[in-house]
Amino acid sequence: MKYQSQSIARLYFIAAIALFIGQILFGVTMGLQYVWGDFLFPAIPFNVARMVHTNLLIVWLLFGFMGAAYYLIPEESERELFAPWLAKLMFWIFLVAGALTILGYLLVPYATLAEMTMDDLLPTMGREFLEQPTITKIGIVIVALAFLFNIGMTILTGRKTVINLVLLTGLTGLAVFFLFAFYVPDNLVLDKYFWWFVVHLWVEGVWELIMASMLAYVLIKVTGVDREVIEKWLYIIIAMALISGLVGTGHHFFWIGTPDYWQWLGSIFSALEPIPFFMMTLFAFNVVNKRRRNHPNKAAVLWALGTAVMAFLGAGVWGFLHTLAPVNFYTHGTQITAAHGHMAFYGAYVMVNLTVISYAMPIIRGKQANNERAQVIEMWSFWLMTVSMVFITLFLTGAGILQVYLQRYSEAPLPFIVVQEKLALFYWLREFAGLVFLVGLILYVYSFFAKGKEVEIVEDLDMKKAVTS
Amino acid sequence: MKQAQHTNEQLKNASNVALASLLNLTLLPVISFIYLLFIYKNTKPGQIDHYHAKLGIKLNLVAFAALFLVSALMILLGGFNSPWTWVYVISYFTIVHTIFIVIAVWALVRAWSGDKLTKN
Repeated sequence: MKYQSQSIARLYFIAAIALFIGQILFGVTMGLQYVWGDFLFPAIPFNVARMVHTNLLIVWLLFGFMGAAYYLIPEESERELFAPWLAKLMFWIFLVAGALTILGYLLVPYATLAEMTMDDLLPTMGREFLEQPTITKIGIVIVALAFLFNIGMTILTGRKTVINLVLLTGLTGLAVFFLFAFYVPDNLVLDKYFWWFVVHLWVEGVWELIMASMLAYVLIKVTGVDREVIEKWLYIIIAMALISGLVGTGHHFFWIGTPDYWQWLGSIFSALEPIPFFMMTLFAFNVVNKRRRNHPNKAAVLWALGTAVMAFLGAGVWGFLHTLAPVNFYTHGTQITAAHGHMAFYGAYVMVNLTVISYAMPIIRGKQANNERAQVIEMWSFWLMTVSMVFITLFLTGAGILQVYLQRYSEAPLPFIVVQEKLALFYWLREFAGLVFLVGLILYVYSFFAKGKEVEIVEDLDMKKAVTS
Repeated sequence: MKQAQHTNEQLKNASNVALASLLNLTLLPVISFIYLLFIYKNTKPGQIDHYHAKLGIKLNLVAFAALFLVSALMILLGGFNSPWTWVYVISYFTIVHTIFIVIAVWALVRAWSGDKLTKN
């Protein structure tokens, strides 16, 4: 580790992984509630389990992004972090606020939580994924501003690279677009616009910038390919992400009372949205193929390649599957959306966080890479989690297609709840795949503690050629 | 180092055919395949452009069989009006199509560097 302040990332990574475990535990709980409705009722009702599952996902991904930023920005900027104490303080504030919010969801009824946190003064609660009490949202803004100040000052007073500037742009966008969460119009259609301005412009906009810069950083480190080559790719990827993603927001505006032109705009621009993900696959494959060193951290290389492929599959292909308005007319809000959501979040954002953690954690712990046994276990966890996520997606896709057919396409459409009973087989299969995912996650955590033979140092392929010729 | 073994023309052809193979699987079917056949006829066995042209043709023929013939068989056996047929066909088509695209992407980056698909 080049700079001492990079070690702050460790706190964020540990919190991220702990919350990830919580997210998956609630995921498998909820998966069971799909087929066994009374499971853990009334202690943890389905709506609460779902809220905790999705909120934990968002919070741990944010912890991961912040940890990644605190790790890579000092190195890219060639200086210590501007205010390490601030990063530590914000970590504890964010963690305590996040934990209290989750406890609030679990321990008191949601309406009571709204009363307790004086939501009536500035009502922002009750919207999917943005269920946090207003006071928590204000806390998130404070943490985000302090975080941006810290990394912004580090970059502005240090070396400016494409990677740290793209990351800063993405993180600034993340903070700015979150402000729409504070505006809740009475008109439901208007409300949906502003809700998507947070949710969509995060995951299909600025988060892609964050993801691309994190991936580019790890690829420079593990492949030794020239920075200039990687930066050119990064420019094209982020340009395509913004061109397609911003107006692509329109694909959320179908059939909810918005003007018809959104069907054209949403269809055309979101049909372009797979392009940046496709380019990330091409980019990752290309730089790994041209690598100038065999980095001892094989697990990190695997995560990096896996991120590119799975993001293309989940966000690109599965997104395109139901994004055109005539298709979405049937598929809107069905299990096909859930299939896409699961694989896109895993492929793009979970995996890119795990890529950076896989690369950075051994270095923070004082070695270039984990020992061989730990890496083998980590790579097993990669395959278990990734393959099970592919199956979760396939089972949910199957459920979604059947749902569309029986509920919306058939000449004698069946009611929603009748159709849900017919999807039980898919839900059982999804639950089984979810349990395999949990096993993969347990192995992943175990890999941090596994002892074994230490790996050899970096092998520079160019030097090896020079020596042998 | 490896690129010195091939002429610039061969490398350019290899990259073009690998791109055509990818385009045939995605944005420009049929036309790209015809282009692929055309380039194939103008290459000599043993050269990198010939290798990638042959690989692209094989990959696309296998993809055609795996995607269209197998899907057609599923529809034939399962019945056009059965929801289960569409559960299988759409899931199968999407995932298998993506696998072929990912293979074609890898072939393209290998062609760019003048390499065969695999190291052996």
